Amino acid sequence: MSRPIQKVCVIGAGTMGAGIAAQVANAGVPVLLLDIVPKEGSNRNAVAEGAVAKMLKTEPAPFMSKAAAKLVETGNIEDHLEKVAECDWVIEAVIERLDIKQGLYARLEAVKREGTAVSSNTSTIPLAQLVDGRSDAFKRDFLITHFFNPPRYMRLLEIVTGPDTDAGVAAKVEQFADVAMGKTVVKAKDTPGFIANRIGTYWIQLGLNAAFDQGLSVELADAVAGKPMGAPKTGIFGLVDLVGIDLMPHLQASLTSTLPKDDPYHAIARSHPLIEKMIADGYTGRKGKGGFYRLNKDMGRRKETIDLATGEYREMIRAAGPSGKAARGDLRALVETKGPIGDYAWAVLGGTLAYAASLIPSAADDVVAIDDAMKLGYNWKAGPFEMIDRLGAAWLAQRLESEGKPVPEILKVAGDRPFYRVESGVRQYLTLNGTYDDIKRPQGVLSLADVKLAGKPLLKNASAALWDIGDGVTALEFTGKMNALDGEVMKLIVEAIPLVASKYKAMVVYTDADNFSAGANLGLAIFAVNIAAWSEIEKLVAGGQMAYKGLKYAPFPVVGAPAGMALGGGCEILLHCDAIQAHAELYMGLVECGVGLVPGWGGNGEMLDRWQQSKLMPKGPMPAVAKVFETVSTASVSKSAAQAKEMLFLRADDAITMNRDRLLFDAKQKALSLVDGYKPREAPHFRLPGESGRTALGMAADGFHKQGKATDYDMVVSDALATVLTGGDADLVDVVSEQELLKLEREAFMRLVREPRSIARVEHMLETGKPLRN
Amino acid sequence: MQSVVIAGYARSPFHLANKGALARVRPDDLAAQVIRGLISKTGVEPSDIEDIIVGCAFPEGEQGLNVARLIGLLADLPISVGGMTVNRFCGSSMSAIHTAMGQIAIGAGEVFVCAGVESMSRVPMMGFNPLPNPALAKKSAAYMGMGETAENVATKYQIARAEQEALAVSSQHKAAAARDAGKLVDEIVPIETKGGTVSEDGTIRGETTAEGLAGLKPAFDANGSVTAGTSSPLTDGASAVLVTTEEYARAHGLPILARIKAVAISGCAPETMGLGPILSSQKALERAGISAGDLDVVELNEAFASQALACIKDLGLDTAKVNIDGGAIAIGHPLGATGARIVGKAASLLKREGGKYALASQCIGGGQGIATVLEAVE
Repeated sequence: MSRPIQKVCVIGAGTMGAGIAAQVANAGVPVLLLDIVPKEGSNRNAVAEGAVAKMLKTEPAPFMSKAAAKLVETGNIEDHLEKVAECDWVIEAVIERLDIKQGLYARLEAVKREGTAVSSNTSTIPLAQLVDGRSDAFKRDFLITHFFNPPRYMRLLEIVTGPDTDAGVAAKVEQFADVAMGKTVVKAKDTPGFIANRIGTYWIQLGLNAAFDQGLSVELADAVAGKPMGAPKTGIFGLVDLVGIDLMPHLQASLTSTLPKDDPYHAIARSHPLIEKMIADGYTGRKGKGGFYRLNKDMGRRKETIDLATGEYREMIRAAGPSGKAARGDLRALVETKGPIGDYAWAVLGGTLAYAASLIPSAADDVVAIDDAMKLGYNWKAGPFEMIDRLGAAWLAQRLESEGKPVPEILKVAGDRPFYRVESGVRQYLTLNGTYDDIKRPQGVLSLADVKLAGKPLLKNASAALWDIGDGVTALEFTGKMNALDGEVMKLIVEAIPLVASKYKAMVVYTDADNFSAGANLGLAIFAVNIAAWSEIEKLVAGGQMAYKGLKYAPFPVVGAPAGMALGGGCEILLHCDAIQAHAELYMGLVECGVGLVPGWGGNGEMLDRWQQSKLMPKGPMPAVAKVFETVSTASVSKSAAQAKEMLFLRADDAITMNRDRLLFDAKQKALSLVDGYKPREAPHFRLPGESGRTALGMAADGFHKQGKATDYDMVVSDALATVLTGGDADLVDVVSEQELLKLEREAFMRLVREPRSIARVEHMLETGKPLRN
Repeated sequence: MQSVVIAGYARSPFHLANKGALARVRPDDLAAQVIRGLISKTGVEPSDIEDIIVGCAFPEGEQGLNVARLIGLLADLPISVGGMTVNRFCGSSMSAIHTAMGQIAIGAGEVFVCAGVESMSRVPMMGFNPLPNPALAKKSAAYMGMGETAENVATKYQIARAEQEALAVSSQHKAAAARDAGKLVDEIVPIETKGGTVSEDGTIRGETTAEGLAGLKPAFDANGSVTAGTSSPLTDGASAVLVTTEEYARAHGLPILARIKAVAISGCAPETMGLGPILSSQKALERAGISAGDLDVVELNEAFASQALACIKDLGLDTAKVNIDGGAIAIGHPLGATGARIVGKAASLLKREGGKYALASQCIGGGQGIATVLEAVE
């Protein structure tokens, strides 16, 4: 096997190619991005350069940091193709035309080193056709790597290898895509649409057909096919608006021309006159004049929906979708709901699940691959076979049979058994030959879900649990709704510390959930406010401070392992850890000011300490204070772990894991690496500017207020924050201890929590999920 | 009293802070290059220089530690030449000139380099550790932001936004025309940077239109009239003039630009600090025994269009004679460097355009004005 991947080339700087290049750069690996020479203008690299410039302005951002963008080298395929010789992997992401791709491969073959992998990001063209005419050596290095859009955020990567693909080359690409780029690799067969798009397109087509046929409104269709089925709330019509309505005929044409004649897709592939007309008139979805939904700017940004019967836009309605169990994930209840909801649900879900089941083994070897593909490629909460388990395989087979529809082989194999089961603490899946195999995690992947199946928690209460994850390491898990933090979490931390200290080596703070924690349980807080339980609130604040400091000064290393959102109190617990092993997608921040409060669980001191220790800061009492004030008063949240590092939420030696599945394993290793000779950090002490500094911060805030960027109440909240950060009545020559700062923090929190305008902010956040700007 | 003259003027190109071509240049290096340029251009004998007086509004960080002395060493001036940093915010380097004149008057030297420098990229306004006195902050507008004072002046003098924008457009067009006609080349010392030689201003926006400015949002007060387009930009730059006795200049064949006729300082309300030039100019004119009508050249620092317009109105200035090559809205306003620039510029213009008297004046944060009256030398 040739050298590992140290430089990558992406050819084709369209949305996909550029996005893939950005993700390579996000991994810290240099990438060469090439496109054609434009017909006009003197800059021969304009296409690739333009793509990078555009990405720097795109939201959500393809790049995780500005430093990453600098790793992209741009060029064109006329002048710079020979630079491919420097690269270890070439990803082709040019237009979906066989002749163009084949022509490019012929040129690549002349310049690439042997052993440099070449992969196509094609979504439709079979591998066999792509390598037609190429040498055996080229075929050995060739595979398909099918990314999903946007490449930074979609975790799925379908890999297709051909009969000639060298296993070592494929393994090298797979390893890089997994560890460096953070993708979950699903191996697909060389069949049209691979896995996710084949099933996804079928699902969409069924959804469109059934809505037209059954006379459902767009809103009702999406209210059924969205959340109740575990799909994103955009449902089907909303999704088509998002990806572009004009894409649908292309997908349809591609699949109908390549799928086997007996594939069920042919029977449902229909064009709808309304959709054809919409495309012809430029109503191609969000990128066009509008789609099934639109914002009518002529009518005060009125939300409108198209009427499938008349083709006219009308005001959007809130559809009365499924209710009760059917709304909450009980799929049997959903498809058995009487009337249009149940009929539509069955048409879409029954058809899709049957189709997915029919694709084993032609498109995928096992049910796990199909479930992973749909969960990661279409953001479904559960994969088709997990959904079948909820319906019952036997029930599904029977209903299909009773309607005269074919029953897929794997359903017959399952009989009344589930596709997934747990045997001796190990999760297993049903194979086509009727036996169960263990779900094997790749080396370097540790799942808390697996740990939980295999044993009982060391400690557990209503909001948190402590698990033994092996090798002397424990995992502290939040278990409340949205992983909200409350007194129970603090109680468990206090109980865990002596236990871990006496019987274990280290602790990792981790959760399998999408979001680490959105912070304190505001619902509980508002309840306490409503009954004026001030002393209870103060106890909760003090208890949290004590628990977090307990972790900080515990005689064992504590490693935070966040992914997704880590806000407010969720951010603060991480600030108290000895080290952080973060998932690359980390949205971390102290957002308390947004709800009219200040950080109350030690976040102020931890941030001050980080900035005061930063070598980048000028000397004197103000720079660190001003920086923390700026970050916290504006409730700034990082848009990636790389950015969290720039904001000093993460320390320089904290580490980043690209693949979400590898986070817990990496965090555990990090914790173990800290065990030998472990000493807790020493408590910081602060030299703070006192009232003079508070005056300076007030003047800065006042400027924002006059500019209309800060509200009246922002001024009150930011003054409370400034009081904490400047040390209250401290004088420049005083030393403020950590405990004194905690007291200031508590006092400021307790002052604000009684303020009606803070309470209004909290209530608004709970009701709408958005900050109130009062 | 001895006749004191401006016997040379030079400046660096001015560039926008943070994004401009001088953002990565240390202010001490920048000023040293300008002073070296001034010396070689005038041909003054370095060992005759008594002192380098450098104005700087935020003399800390890279422009701290009595930067004047360090600049002298960086410029390879003889070890015998002194160095003093003075701070009067925006009036710093004009104060440097006034100080030199005073030193000459008491017989404390004949030849002075009066310079100014500010890297607004590398040292923030307010400095790194702003620690205002809380009691003073409560009772006075001493610490008020400059933008807010500009709004106050606009309100007090009822200066409409369009009027401010007309001045800004004119300033930009005059500066661009002067640059395009090569009229700025003589005063600019090309600066060597890591990114190459920088020899032109990076601040001037000759394409500015009234319509374009009308589209900008208020910069300091959501309901106000002052925008980024009608304010001087944050700027990096350095400037220097050679101040000597007329006798010395003549004896050594130095290029005399103008004689300093009178100077003045005045205080005013901090919340309308932009009006500072009114009283200081009136005092200086009176000391010179002339009136505004006698002026042929005026350099009035455009910290903001609103305050410049208010000063023009109250002083009764002829706008055709004010900022002939454009003002700070176009050229930029590196705080400590502006005073020496506008005195040097006024002196040069008096020579270039002909005429008898010139005025250079500027407003100063915290509520002051400073003015210098120059007289042509036959």
